Amino acid sequence: MEGLLSILRRLKQPPECEVRLLLLGLDNAGKTTLLKQLAAEDISHITPTQGFNIKSVQSSGFKLNVWDIGGQRKIRPYWRNYFENTDVLIYVIDSSDRKRFEETSLELAELLEEEKLAAVPLLVFANKQDLMTASPASELAESLNLHTIRDRMWQVQACSALTAEGVQDGMTWVCRNIKFRKR
Amino acid sequence: MFSLMANCCSWLKRWREPARKVTLVMVGLDNAGKTAAVRGIQGENPQDLAPTVGFSKVDLKQGKFEVTIFDLGGGKRIRDIWKNYYSESHGVVFVVDSSDVQRIQETRETMAQVLQHPRIAGKPVLVLANKQDLEGALAEADIIENLSLEKLVNENKCLCQIEPCSAILGCGKKVDKSIKKGLSWLLSNIAKDYEAIAERVQKDTAEQRALEEQDKKERAERVRRIREERWENGNALKSVRFVSCCLHHVCVF
Ligand SMILES: Nc1nc2c(ncn2[C@@H]2O[C@H](COP(=O)(O)OP(=O)(O)OP(=O)(O)O)[C@@H](O)[C@H]2O)c(=O)[nH]1
Ligand SMILES: [Mg+2]
Repeated sequence: MEGLLSILRRLKQPPECEVRLLLLGLDNAGKTTLLKQLAAEDISHITPTQGFNIKSVQSSGFKLNVWDIGGQRKIRPYWRNYFENTDVLIYVIDSSDRKRFEETSLELAELLEEEKLAAVPLLVFANKQDLMTASPASELAESLNLHTIRDRMWQVQACSALTAEGVQDGMTWVCRNIKFRKR
Repeated sequence: MFSLMANCCSWLKRWREPARKVTLVMVGLDNAGKTAAVRGIQGENPQDLAPTVGFSKVDLKQGKFEVTIFDLGGGKRIRDIWKNYYSESHGVVFVVDSSDVQRIQETRETMAQVLQHPRIAGKPVLVLANKQDLEGALAEADIIENLSLEKLVNENKCLCQIEPCSAILGCGKKVDKSIKKGLSWLLSNIAKDYEAIAERVQKDTAEQRALEEQDKKERAERVRRIREERWENGNALKSVRFVSCCLHHVCVF
């Protein structure tokens, strides 16, 4: 199976540039399933970083770093090593788990305050839309406090990592909104 | 002579004035052409766009104005976020798809809600009657009538100008002249009343920020409590396991 990332590679300009993405969210948000959709052929190349639960995937011009946010207060400073040169921050939420919206909004707010992530565009994957209990984008935006953001562009993409619906649209947005870093 | 001096003084005063910061909020139904319009203004290709379900902004300099335009998603399920951007806006750009005759009533209701909002009423509004290149596009007069625009702007004391245009005509220097003209109109009317509008913006924005800050604190407190509970439950579970483990040993003996 061809992973989405290799399809998207044709979209990004210029194609030889490496795009760096952070894929973050609370536990159970659906990051691993999403990762499988994105990098089908590379799933065996996922390297868990010893002890820190950070996964890195490199695939056809994309570099994805993935971890669970929330909990693990002690290793937080270590995350900063992965913030540098991020092109787009992808934040995954379980849109059916309203009880955790406030918790996830707080984690996101902390991330957005990171200096190294300043002005980095934000894509929110409103995952698990197949569950029928999902909230509309405007409710999500307000629950996650997205409407208070002024220093970067953001977009909510409804998706189901399970059925892959919406995943490609989200990644297309990512490719279109990368401001290429000068190297 | 005196008038010459007065002129010089006012010119000097204006010249020494710092750049004026102006924020505009761009709204309108989904598919109206908001993103196409801002892209064009910004000098980017206005083609190949996907619906906005969120927020983006552009900064540009227009004469002595430092302008920020907020481009918001117009879909039904995201429209509710618009109100959060009203306090800090000096003026409104409302984009209409003139070719979408079927949705003109929805457009009218949506526009009424925007102009009636206490944080918008009284501020100048530019209506871009977009997609004039399409066959069957409503002309200026029809749009004014269908939207009951005159009544709407009078009731809400908004200065208003309507510009028929086509956002995909070109970008940068080649952007549709009507769009440029409309923006100039909007900015000059904001300039005429700048002190008053800026004061209102400052006051409303401060109020909103205070509420948001309060809300953030309360959220943080609730999350802290939930986490504490989760932690306690986790510990309680551990001690239950410990006890049952001990009991097990006791039984074995
Ligand atoms: N023919 C024609 N098409 C246009 C014009 N302006 C925009 N479009 C097209 O209309 C569609 C929607 O344009 P957008 O700019 O994405 O609309 P929007 O108002 O930002 O929509 P949302 O982001 O969903 O709120 C796109 O396919 C544009 O290419 C125009 O002046 N003429
Ligand atoms: Mg748009």
